[in-house]
Amino acid sequence: MAESEVVGKDKEKCTTGIEELDIQMNGGIPVGSTVLITGSSGSGKTTLCMQYLADGAKKGERGVFFTITEPLFKLTKNLEGFAFYDKKLVESGMVNLIDLRIISERLGLDAEKYTVEDASALLDILKDIAEELDVKRLVIDSITALCYRLQTREMIRDFIFKLGTSLAAMKCTTLLTSEVPPRTFKYSQYEIEEFISDGIIFLGDVERKGDLIRTLQVVKMRGTSHNRSKFAMSISSKRGIELLPLLKS
Amino acid sequence: MTDTMLEGLKDRISKSAKIHQSVGIIVPMNNYADLSEAIIDHMMNTKDDFWVYITITKSFDTIIKKFKSLSDHKNIKFIDCISRAAGIVRSDNNCIYVESPAMLEKILMEMINILHEIKDDLNKYIIIDSLSSLMIYNNPETVNEFFQHFINKTRAEDVHSISLVVEEEMDEYINRIIFLNEKIIKVRESFI
Repeated sequence: MAESEVVGKDKEKCTTGIEELDIQMNGGIPVGSTVLITGSSGSGKTTLCMQYLADGAKKGERGVFFTITEPLFKLTKNLEGFAFYDKKLVESGMVNLIDLRIISERLGLDAEKYTVEDASALLDILKDIAEELDVKRLVIDSITALCYRLQTREMIRDFIFKLGTSLAAMKCTTLLTSEVPPRTFKYSQYEIEEFISDGIIFLGDVERKGDLIRTLQVVKMRGTSHNRSKFAMSISSKRGIELLPLLKS
Repeated sequence: MTDTMLEGLKDRISKSAKIHQSVGIIVPMNNYADLSEAIIDHMMNTKDDFWVYITITKSFDTIIKKFKSLSDHKNIKFIDCISRAAGIVRSDNNCIYVESPAMLEKILMEMINILHEIKDDLNKYIIIDSLSSLMIYNNPETVNEFFQHFINKTRAEDVHSISLVVEEEMDEYINRIIFLNEKIIKVRESFI
């Protein structure tokens, strides 16, 4: 790894459960960081996040997964095919799956449109749950869908900055998924999300002879030296996410 | 090819592969099928060796029709790179299917995963059948880069490799790639 890529002294790391990715980040994500996992639909964002939570749970670190994009039954059904996923992790409370839409409903919020107060109430609830469960790892899937419910750019900006402040105070390592259209070099829908993030992991694809090869690139990761090369990524039920350097030719 | 010739050739390849880390075999098109079958036959008759056979030329389905007991050999694994792309759906514990022969990184990943599961006391061999076929589905530079990774990885893992090339399909690119091997064997009708 180039010396110039080293930013400050390496901090304590949080492994992702993806061996090659941890190697490329010199041991993992710096503890307490907020990392944006960016990619288009089907790029493997949710799988990466769940592998991360399962890895933590197996190491005794409790995690929470807040979803706003798909119902829990659908999420768990998809996960059951992966060897890294063990139902017992959920049953034991080491991995907590929470549907934010249900929470919104219970708070009496409009499911489709949030006001400033709604967003603030939701943020408080997120924080309370994380604190009550004493989680070390947190996932919000997705920040894009959450912001979609806010009505103006100003509200989105305000919400994202408040979220950033709350996450920083929580001392847990957070992954925020961000949906972008395919084949774009944007890291987020609203172009604000990356500014509250300490790291960006970009999931994309490259076309080779008509085949789409999944790729993963650590674009930014504060507090650790990391490789910025593009990696070919594979998702399999047996091993989850695996990486190998992408052929450059 | 006569049986005597094939036996002689099998012996020569086997000895070369034991001595050298990587062996390239240039074989005339007319003898190609005989040679690849002779190699599979040889694989099936070894117990202390572990074989990974990467096929880009024939589907695993075609191979197993000829060698019916292949599924029973725990020391042989196939990586079939063409069946999925051709819409052939089959499942076998001894074969891993890669979606397309253009997914070269995936081939390497599967190869590495298999190697990591093999017991250390076995001699490990990997066969690429063939570099000529890989060239059909990929740019020459990409195959060159893939093969460089392949050679480096097999060396690092102390695995011996055998790469096949069809003589009639040799061009400047394949020439450059095949000579990355430590040893080249040119098969001739008049070999013995």
